[in-house]
Amino acid sequence: MAVEKQLESTRAASEHQKAWFANLRREVFEEKKPYAIAQADMPLELFQVMDVPVISNQWWSAVVAAKQLSAYYLDSLNALGYHEGLCRYCSLSLASSIAGDPGKAPWGGLPKPAVLAARLTCDCIQRVFETWAASFGAQFVPLDSAGATHLPPRWWELSRHRWSELFEPHRLDLMTQQMEVLIRVLEQKTGRTFSETRLLELMEGVNRQEEYFEEVRDLICSAPQTPVRMNEQVTNVMTTQWHRGSDWAVNHARAFRDEVKQRVAQGIAAYPGEKRRLMWVGAGLWHDTDFYTAFEESHGAVFVWSMYLAFGPDGYIRYGLDDPMRALASRVVSMNEQLHNPPWANEWIVDQARRHRIEGAVILVPHGSRPSATGTFFIERALEQAGIPTLEIWADMVDGRRWDSQSMRQRVARFVETRM
Amino acid sequence: MSAARETLFWHYRHRSAAALAAHQAGVPVVGYTSNTVPWELIRAAGCFPLLLSPDVDKLNEPTPLADVWMEPVFDSRIRSVFDGILADAWPYLKLLIIPRTSEPEYKLYLYLREVARQELSKNVPPLHLYDLLHTRSPISRGYGLARTEELKLRLEVRPEALEKAVDESNRARIALRGLQRLRTERPSKISGTDALRISSAFYFMERGAYTDLVNQVCEDANSAPALEGPRLLMKGMPLHHPGLHQALEAQDAVVIAEDDWWGTRAGGANISGFDVDSVFAKYYLDEPSPRVWPASAADSWFEDTLKAGVDGVVFYLPPDDDVYGWDYPRQRDFVHARGIPSLLIKEDASRDLSVEATAELKRFVEAIKHGG
Repeated sequence: MAVEKQLESTRAASEHQKAWFANLRREVFEEKKPYAIAQADMPLELFQVMDVPVISNQWWSAVVAAKQLSAYYLDSLNALGYHEGLCRYCSLSLASSIAGDPGKAPWGGLPKPAVLAARLTCDCIQRVFETWAASFGAQFVPLDSAGATHLPPRWWELSRHRWSELFEPHRLDLMTQQMEVLIRVLEQKTGRTFSETRLLELMEGVNRQEEYFEEVRDLICSAPQTPVRMNEQVTNVMTTQWHRGSDWAVNHARAFRDEVKQRVAQGIAAYPGEKRRLMWVGAGLWHDTDFYTAFEESHGAVFVWSMYLAFGPDGYIRYGLDDPMRALASRVVSMNEQLHNPPWANEWIVDQARRHRIEGAVILVPHGSRPSATGTFFIERALEQAGIPTLEIWADMVDGRRWDSQSMRQRVARFVETRM
Repeated sequence: MSAARETLFWHYRHRSAAALAAHQAGVPVVGYTSNTVPWELIRAAGCFPLLLSPDVDKLNEPTPLADVWMEPVFDSRIRSVFDGILADAWPYLKLLIIPRTSEPEYKLYLYLREVARQELSKNVPPLHLYDLLHTRSPISRGYGLARTEELKLRLEVRPEALEKAVDESNRARIALRGLQRLRTERPSKISGTDALRISSAFYFMERGAYTDLVNQVCEDANSAPALEGPRLLMKGMPLHHPGLHQALEAQDAVVIAEDDWWGTRAGGANISGFDVDSVFAKYYLDEPSPRVWPASAADSWFEDTLKAGVDGVVFYLPPDDDVYGWDYPRQRDFVHARGIPSLLIKEDASRDLSVEATAELKRFVEAIKHGG
């Protein structure tokens, strides 16, 4: 049974996202306003500057999964000839558009976008997006993904002020040039002109937003018990990140910070019986989010950390905005390396585990979904070496077809009992 | 079997043998992991270029060292290369160049960096990421050219040596095109199984000697008996083993081409000049890679070959695949729209195919023979 939301911010975030999507559909269908579909690791700020609403592929995928539609759409995708071994996280949204009945998708499915855009991290992305774009008869703008060679392990100590050096000038040049192409496309689609001044304002807004998130993160680290469950962290953070830097996003981040701060001041814990602190490593288990609260009553084990809140401050804040385009390029150019690949992911996650007083880590090893399926064994070893027991969960983020909810819960319960 | 053919097969089986001999003769050996690394630059640096690949008879051996770090999403070829490096299979490498030609290769680079950083193995050679992008845009092209210039500097290539290396390599490419003509002419004069092995040896030998041997094979094959049977084109995951060719040709089919850097596309077009720009252009525009975009560019060779005339297409998407399967429905539809039959094989053909898969191959070939 779903656990009741504790924070007013969480309700506000959910309501905002629903209203935003309803408004988007009205604008798209009735006013013919252009919108975009983009991969989550894109420079979404550019779309905001151009007043082009964006639906993130991963957000939509999570929504479809949360509505328990992943089996229906993935089976339908397989029936078209796309085999079962292909990545599901990045393709469930595509499936909801081209396989089965698109009208069964949440809120009647995605309307035709003006443009689709993605960074080409893994080799599947260009295929998923090109197929998707063709099905809509819409344009696809790819941003190629250069490899990183400068890899100082403690990247988060450099990313705010020394980002230009950290992310390598030639990679930033490439990303900036590609972003300029994307801007030209958006200008063409909207008839509007891009404003670098507006981008600068937005970038400053993103910094303020992430600074609030950093305060929340610090509160979770220092409070005797976590004041906010992981699920509610994710709802607040991700809804805000999809609209990052906007007035609503900054205000919401501040309200979230205020509410969490107040809970800490009043000694309110998300689960007062918290005895053990767990971290979730990897993308969310969107088809079974109740999993994250399933060990509270039985074991006093509370998930207090996921990458979604923690990455905001370290991954997004950029100081020194003389060249906002370049700063924005630096925000997106290494997201996959930071979250899912050695040495950056393992070093960062161990640091986070220590700061959050984590006692056990559950690591998602996806069956497919290559962008988030790598680096997990390095992370596991690093955590174990830091004295933090780990448990691997082999599952998919959005595909619940092979997920045995009961036995997975039993595994985690045993892990808590025997290793923590 | 002719001595030339036997020698080429031997190098196909013993993939590091020529490199080891070069090393023992005092020639530095530089490894690389895919077809998109400019062989000519390595050669022009006075080194022996070696494509890292486990020997054919070791393809299915366990990879215990790699399994510690690599998740199941990595395909068996990359896993074997990683395992081989950790096991010190190529201790003589002066440098290993890994291209950004597929995501698994980029991850291989990051994993090797991390293994070295944490001192988990002493066997990781110096590494170079050749960050060649494959999207067809002026921006990616400029980026790739700059990275190629960087590679040239790192290798300390001399211009006069580059001219010689390009010439040596182009002659091998011409020989390979001659080999391919033996397959596509009617009737074919060489089996797909043999041709695949000969083409693949391109990556493991000194190219002057290789060219002479391939030319000799072509000359011998002119008087070889004609090969009759349904003429097939292979598509899908690259075939670094001859298992599927053998299984098909055991049913009296003839594999006349494969859209694959191990086979028909090993050589490709010649390099048009003797400068770095020309070398780069060849690798950027002509070499297959799973990251070529748009799909129209990636599909063009396949579609042209199909239109030139084949009797059937075999798509190969083994359990390792999580990329080429995205292309399959589109390519299958293209094939069927031209009235050409196709078959999808999803088993790992580097091992013995199951009785069911073998029966399926047989039915497919028989149906083509009987015009079905």
